[in-house]
Amino acid sequence: MKHGKKSAALLSLVLAGLLALSACSGNSGGNGPAASPGSGSNTQGGDEKPVELIWYTIGTPQKDLDRVNEEVNKYTLEKINATVQMNMLDWGDYSQKMGVMTASGTPVDIMFTASWAFDYVQNARKGAFMSIDELLKSHGQGILDVLDPAFLEGSKVDGVNYGIPANKELPAQEVWRFNKKLLDKYNLKLDGVRTLESLEPLLATIKANEPNVTPLAIAKDFMPLAGYDYLIEKMPMAVKLDTKDFKVVNILETPEMQKELDTMRKYYQAGYIATEAATLDTMNDAILAGNWFTDRAATQPFADNLWSASYGYPVVSTPAGEPTIYNWSVMGSMQAISANSEHPEKAMEFLNLLNTDPYLRNLIDSGIEDVHYKKTGDNVMENLPEAQNYDMPTFSLGNVMLTYLTKDDPATKWEEFKTFNASGKPSPILGFNFNGSNVATELATLQNVKEEFWSTLMTGTVDPKEYLPKAIEKFKTAGLDKVIAEAQKQLDAWVAEQK
Amino acid sequence: MAATPSPALFIRAEWRDHVKSLISVLRDMNKNKALLMMVLPAAVWFVCFSYLPMAGMIIAFKEYRYSREGFLASIMNSKWVGFDNFKFLFSTSDAYVITRNTILYNAAFIVLGLVLAVALAVMLSELVNKRLAKWFQTGMFLPHFLSWVIVGYFVFSFLSVDRGIVNQALGLFGIDPMHWYNDKTYWPVILVFVFLWKSIGYNSVIYLAGIMGIDRSLYEAAMIDGASKRQQIFRITIPMLTPLMVIMTLLAVGKIFYADFGLFYQIPRDSGTLYSVTNVIDTYVYRGLKVTGEIGMSAAAGLYQSVVGFVLVVVSNTIVRRIDKDNALF
Repeated sequence: MKHGKKSAALLSLVLAGLLALSACSGNSGGNGPAASPGSGSNTQGGDEKPVELIWYTIGTPQKDLDRVNEEVNKYTLEKINATVQMNMLDWGDYSQKMGVMTASGTPVDIMFTASWAFDYVQNARKGAFMSIDELLKSHGQGILDVLDPAFLEGSKVDGVNYGIPANKELPAQEVWRFNKKLLDKYNLKLDGVRTLESLEPLLATIKANEPNVTPLAIAKDFMPLAGYDYLIEKMPMAVKLDTKDFKVVNILETPEMQKELDTMRKYYQAGYIATEAATLDTMNDAILAGNWFTDRAATQPFADNLWSASYGYPVVSTPAGEPTIYNWSVMGSMQAISANSEHPEKAMEFLNLLNTDPYLRNLIDSGIEDVHYKKTGDNVMENLPEAQNYDMPTFSLGNVMLTYLTKDDPATKWEEFKTFNASGKPSPILGFNFNGSNVATELATLQNVKEEFWSTLMTGTVDPKEYLPKAIEKFKTAGLDKVIAEAQKQLDAWVAEQK
Repeated sequence: MAATPSPALFIRAEWRDHVKSLISVLRDMNKNKALLMMVLPAAVWFVCFSYLPMAGMIIAFKEYRYSREGFLASIMNSKWVGFDNFKFLFSTSDAYVITRNTILYNAAFIVLGLVLAVALAVMLSELVNKRLAKWFQTGMFLPHFLSWVIVGYFVFSFLSVDRGIVNQALGLFGIDPMHWYNDKTYWPVILVFVFLWKSIGYNSVIYLAGIMGIDRSLYEAAMIDGASKRQQIFRITIPMLTPLMVIMTLLAVGKIFYADFGLFYQIPRDSGTLYSVTNVIDTYVYRGLKVTGEIGMSAAAGLYQSVVGFVLVVVSNTIVRRIDKDNALF
C-alpha cells in the first residue's frame, strides 16, 4: 500500500514534468520565429523576404519609440531590404538584462556595449559578440570612411574588433566645473586653477561665506587624478601615463596618489565635501538646486553650453588634466553584432547606414520631422513639444557628427570635435586589455576589498594615515600581487608585440 | 534497473512486475483524479521553476562562455573547472566574516522574530476591542510591503549626519553628532531592529490565524477550572501554536545561509567602513561578481548556500522528530 502511494506520487510528478517539458519546449520553439520572422530563411541575398533585425540599445524607453520605429522601417526596407525592431533598456537595467539575455541565448542582432555598460571587453572575451573585421570590409565600408581610425584601433580585443564605436569625442579630458554665479559673486579667478590643491583658496572662500553650499560637490564615485591609467576600472593596478618601462603598480602605494588622498582628507575635515559623500550616489540634487560651487567632469567641445542649458544657469570650466585617449574613452559607446545573430551581414549594412546616412541617424536620434522637431536651417533643428516623447541619448546611437545642430550650437561644432580628437594624447596602454580569466578568483575577492575601502579613502571620509596601510595590507592578502604579476606578464607581452 | 546486463527471462519477469504496478498506479490515479488535478498546477509550477532549473547546477563547475547555438550549447561547450568557482568564497579572511555575519544575524532574526511575533499575535488576540486589534494588525503589517530601498532612505532620514533626526535629538542634549554610517558599533542592533520592524507584522498574522483556529471550548473549560489569563496563554495558546512555530522555524533554518540582500546592502548604504558587521554571503557575492559577471561563480555561491541550507533543514528536522514526531516536517 505504502509503496503504491509513493510510486503514484512519483508517477504524477514525472507526468507533470513531461507536461511541463513539452509546454516549455513548445513555447521556446514558437518563440524564435515569432520574435524574428524570417529567421527560418537562411538564404542570403534572397530579395523577396526582408530581414528583421532585433536591436537593443541603452536609455529610458521612449513613449514614441514604436512610432519612430515604423518610420525607420519604411526607410530601411527601401534602402537595405531589412526592418529593425528597436528595443530600449533603461540605464540602470541595461548591463544586467543584456547579460541575462546573452547568457541564455535570446535572439539579438545588434546591441549597445561600452566600457561602462554591458562591459565590452569582458563580453567580447566571453563570446557575446561577433568579430566584425571581415564584415566591416565587406558591408561596412562607409563606416571605415567616416570613423577616426583611432577608434577601431583602440577598441581591439586581443587584436580583433567586436564593435563599432560611435564617432564622437575620442580623448577624455577632465575639467573643474564651476557655478558661475558664485564665481562672480566673490570675484574669484580661475587663473592657476588646475590641480586639486590649487582649488583650496576658492573652496575656503565659499565655505566661509555660503553655509548652504557644498563647495566641492563629489559623490562616492569620485577619484582624484594622479596621472595614472587603470588596468581595470577602480582596481588599484595602474600604469603611469608618462611611463617608459610599462611597470604596473599598486596606485595606493604611489606618492602621487598618497598626496592627493591627504588633500582630500584635509578638504573633508575642512567641510568642503559633503559629510556623506562616500555613500552618496550623485550630487545631482545639489547641482540642480545650484547649491554647489565646483566639481569635476569629463568635457567635450562646448560642454559649458550643454551644462548651462541643462541646469538652467551658467556653468564654466577649466582643465584639470590633458585630453588623453584611454581605452574606456574609445569604448565609451559602441554597437556590436551579437554572436548568435542570424543576419550579421544585414546587421552590418544597417549599422553602416546608421553611421553614414544623416536622414536615418537623425530620425532615430530626434524623431520624425515636423512631429518631434522642425528644421530651421540646412542642418539646424529645433525641438517641438512632442520631442519630450522621444528623447534619445545621442552619443549611444553611432556617428554623432551627422546629427543636426541646435540653434545654440556654433556652426563649427563638428570641426571643433575633430580638433579636440586630434589633440588627444594616447595613454601608454591604449589598446591593451587585461584578461582576468586566469585570476578570476582573486579578482572577485579583490573587488570586495576595493568596495570596502575605495570610496571612503577617495572622498577623504577616513584618515589615509590609518586606513591606507590597512587597505594596502588587505589588498595584498586578497592576492593583488598575483594579479599585478599576471597583468605585468600580459602587458610585457603586449608591449613586445607592439614594437 | 533494465540497464543491468541480466538474462532476458529475468528482465521479462521484472517488466511484468512493472506493468502490474503501473496498472495499479493508474487505477489509483483514476480514483484520486480530482485531488491530483488540484495538485497539478502547483506541481507543474515546481517542476518548471524548481526542478528543471536544478540541472543548471553544472554551471557551478564550469567556466561559462557564450556559444552561438544558444543556452544549452553554451553549457555543454564551456570548460569544466572543477571546484575553482567555489574558491573565491573561501580564499580570504572575509570568508569567516561573511559566514559569521550571515549565520549570527539569521539566528537572531529567527529567535527574536519567533518570540516577538508570537507575543504580538497573543496580544492582538487578547485585545477585547477587535476594531482596535484590526488597526494594530494593519499598522504592523504595512512595513512588509515597503521595498528595502525605501526603508533604506527611511533609516537614512534618522541616521544622516547633518540632517538626521537622531543626531538632532542628540544635539538637544549637547551630544556631538554621530557618524552613523562610519561607526560600526551600533549596526548589529540597527539591522536587527529594522529587520524585525519590517517582518514581525507579517509573521504575527500567521500566528494570529493559528490562534483563531484553536478550539474556543478549551478556553471555556480552563476558565471554569479557574485558570488565569496567564495560565490560558502558557497552557493552551502556546502549546497549540507549537506545531506552527516549529514549521516556521524549520523553514527559516533552511534559509539561514541566505541573507536578505536588500537589508544588508540598502540599509547601511553600502558603506565600506561598516563591512565587518554588514557583509554577508549575498552582498559579498554581489560585490565580487558585479563587475566580472562570472555566472559560474555566482552559481557556485548559490549551490553552496542551498546545500548548506538543505543539510541544516534535514538535521534540524531529525532533531525535531527525535523530540516529538508529530511536529516534524517529514
